[in-house]
Amino acid sequence: MFARRRHRLPVVLLPAVLTALAVLVPLPGRSQFTAKGVVDLDGNAVNPFRAATGKVVVFLFVRTDCPISNRYAPLIQELSSRYEKGAQFFLVYPVLAETREQIQNHLKEYGYKLAALRDPDRTLVRASDTRVTPEAAVFLPDGRLQYHGRIDDWYTEFGRSRPAPTTHELSSAVEAAIARKPVAVSAQPAVGCFLPDRP
Amino acid sequence: MSRRRSSLPSSMAALLAMAVSLAAHDRHGPTNDRATKSEPVTFNREIAPIIFQNCAPCHHPGEAGPFPLLSYEDAAKFARQIAYVTERHVMPPWLPAPGRLRFQGEMRLSDEEIQLFRRWAEQGAPRGDAKDLPPAPAFGSGWQLGKPDLILRARKPHLLAAGGTDNYWNFIFPTQEKGTRWVKAIEIHPGEKRVVHHANILVDRLHSSRSLEKNPGDGFPGMELRIESEAFDPDSHFFFWKPGSLPHEEPPGMALRLDPGDDFVLNTHLQPSGKPETIEPSLGLYFTDEPATKFPMLLELQNDPALDIPPGAAHFAVNDEFRITADLDLLAIYPHAHYLGKELRASAALPDGSSQTLIFIPRWDLNWQAVFYYVEPVFLPKGTVVSMQYVYDNSEANPSNPFHPPQRIQGGNRTTDEMAHLWLQVLPRGTPPQQEEARRSLQESLSRHDVVRNPADFAAQYNLGAMLQARGEVSEALLHYRAAVRLRPEDAIANNALGGALLATGHPAEALPPLQSAVQSQPDYSPAHYNLGNAFASLGRFPEAIREFGVAARLDPSDSMAEANWGAALAEAGELSAAREHLKKAVELDPKNAVALQNLQEVDRRLSSAEKQ
Repeated sequence: MFARRRHRLPVVLLPAVLTALAVLVPLPGRSQFTAKGVVDLDGNAVNPFRAATGKVVVFLFVRTDCPISNRYAPLIQELSSRYEKGAQFFLVYPVLAETREQIQNHLKEYGYKLAALRDPDRTLVRASDTRVTPEAAVFLPDGRLQYHGRIDDWYTEFGRSRPAPTTHELSSAVEAAIARKPVAVSAQPAVGCFLPDRP
Repeated sequence: MSRRRSSLPSSMAALLAMAVSLAAHDRHGPTNDRATKSEPVTFNREIAPIIFQNCAPCHHPGEAGPFPLLSYEDAAKFARQIAYVTERHVMPPWLPAPGRLRFQGEMRLSDEEIQLFRRWAEQGAPRGDAKDLPPAPAFGSGWQLGKPDLILRARKPHLLAAGGTDNYWNFIFPTQEKGTRWVKAIEIHPGEKRVVHHANILVDRLHSSRSLEKNPGDGFPGMELRIESEAFDPDSHFFFWKPGSLPHEEPPGMALRLDPGDDFVLNTHLQPSGKPETIEPSLGLYFTDEPATKFPMLLELQNDPALDIPPGAAHFAVNDEFRITADLDLLAIYPHAHYLGKELRASAALPDGSSQTLIFIPRWDLNWQAVFYYVEPVFLPKGTVVSMQYVYDNSEANPSNPFHPPQRIQGGNRTTDEMAHLWLQVLPRGTPPQQEEARRSLQESLSRHDVVRNPADFAAQYNLGAMLQARGEVSEALLHYRAAVRLRPEDAIANNALGGALLATGHPAEALPPLQSAVQSQPDYSPAHYNLGNAFASLGRFPEAIREFGVAARLDPSDSMAEANWGAALAEAGELSAAREHLKKAVELDPKNAVALQNLQEVDRRLSSAEKQ
């Protein structure tokens, strides 16, 4: 598995990453972007913005082996149902080392009913400025980033958690985006498992 | 693995070769060279030994660590994360700051090791030369102390929901050993270790927790337990599990007494994992033939009444202190606060004027609380003042603050209340009689200390009363029982104790009201019915006495004295053949019941003389 990934890395991924950067540099965080290179678990290209049919698009970055993003599974699922009329939630598994089977088992085990995406070119990771899992990004249907960062303040420091969160940044951002109102906070650092340096 | 290595770019291979030769060179040099020079750090050579020793014990399948750390692949994908958490001392989780006193099982990395993680991550987590890689540790999956003498399993699993807040669940494990056993160790298998944050066993000899279960075996929620005990036989052993800890074996002569029918209560702190989990703990008990000859006790310092923390207060200090009344050895220490705890310190001021830090936790984290055993017992001479100095942070800056915006927080047992407790496990020195006297005086001083600090502390008033009564100071005991009843007029146990003490001092009429309120508030509390029966009998009110003894005997069918007194009251009322039946029952239950035997003889004599007439 690993050996194969190392082979591919310089050949396929690097140019793609550069392309994404080139697109984003002029208007960081405000650019409209086409989610190029995003695929579903079977490797078919997906355009989440088209799939969302005019709704707000929310990406939740997770990984199968991160205890923090796993603890959020029920909340992520609940939020996606709560806002389904106005927002389309997607799970994004940005760690390429995770196999299709691992992700499918993970979805089942944690009761996820959301669509799961992979981001081999790190297009979504870069457009959302994602550093860790779990981390959220809220886009308007036209691709403008409204909010990125933590879901809430359950964890505000690695290794420490409150008994329950006391703030709800993601909900607020989603509600604002659905209402097409400006978000109160456009970014709030997330605490969680780092994305690997190599995807 | 060989396939991967052969696929390395040639420049990388050259770099590795260089690293190997440098490493060979380095072996005779100062040990911290690799941490400071820019030489490559590889998994196989530098990182694996640290990880296998310090991380793998929890980070392997079946253990608490959320992912394994047993191979290069496991570690490389978390390389930056490992550097980050070790630099911040988040991992390995170990609360006490280094000090003069050492604890067993300290989990701490050296600065050099931490730097190696950082450099390894910055260099892109290279694997290194296969020949440098030490063998991965092997971990057994069964009982770490070998096959237990007795395994107790949870009667019902606890189903932990996928989400929600931290959850505190208690399991009751009844025991049914034939005779007294001596327990030298309990290995706690808490169930799904990835969600159990800590687990703690309490011995419940009086079954005081059973009434908290809806149905027997269900278990019950609750973060802090109050287990009733005989005031002079309190809990004295720690049985604690936290991730990565080895089961603690008591030294010879210090086994825990387990009497037939004693309950163990396992208090668990659970963190939902994101998916539904089934928690099914079991306990492995290890017995010894050697009865206890050393009797440790737990000294509890606490100052919950002082906890009234205004919102926003970032440095709220709470103290307590206690002068020890005998020479003793301190064996272990257990500091406890909730989510606002910030800095926890315990110290000892010795009679010679010197002082010693017993433990210092610069950044408290409830999630990693633990019992800490000293490597060497700490001698504390009589007259030493042990103290706790705790600091709380109720500001926004506290990442564990349960409230936003912060709220006024007071002392209490709920998760979101705060606590200021410190338990010290101590072993008095001296000959056995001296030790016993030391335990008694410590226990009494502790209760007096509790009562003085907080006269509204019901348990302290009650305990002091019970202790004074046990030592024959009944009139002083009455004062404290009365205080306890004033604090909780409905409490059956305090009312019964007050009634019992009044009865013992020859005041049966005065004993009636507290005993009546005891049976009223807890109709199934057999000791109160028994005492009430005695009070009525002392007043010559035999029909009422007969009724109460009858209730007591039915509630506790094994109570020989209830049957004996029932028989006696019936005899007094002239119902000789009914009396005979109950006296015989009493003797069946306890063939040595002198009262029953004597009364049976007397009843038989009267019955036969009645027949003769």
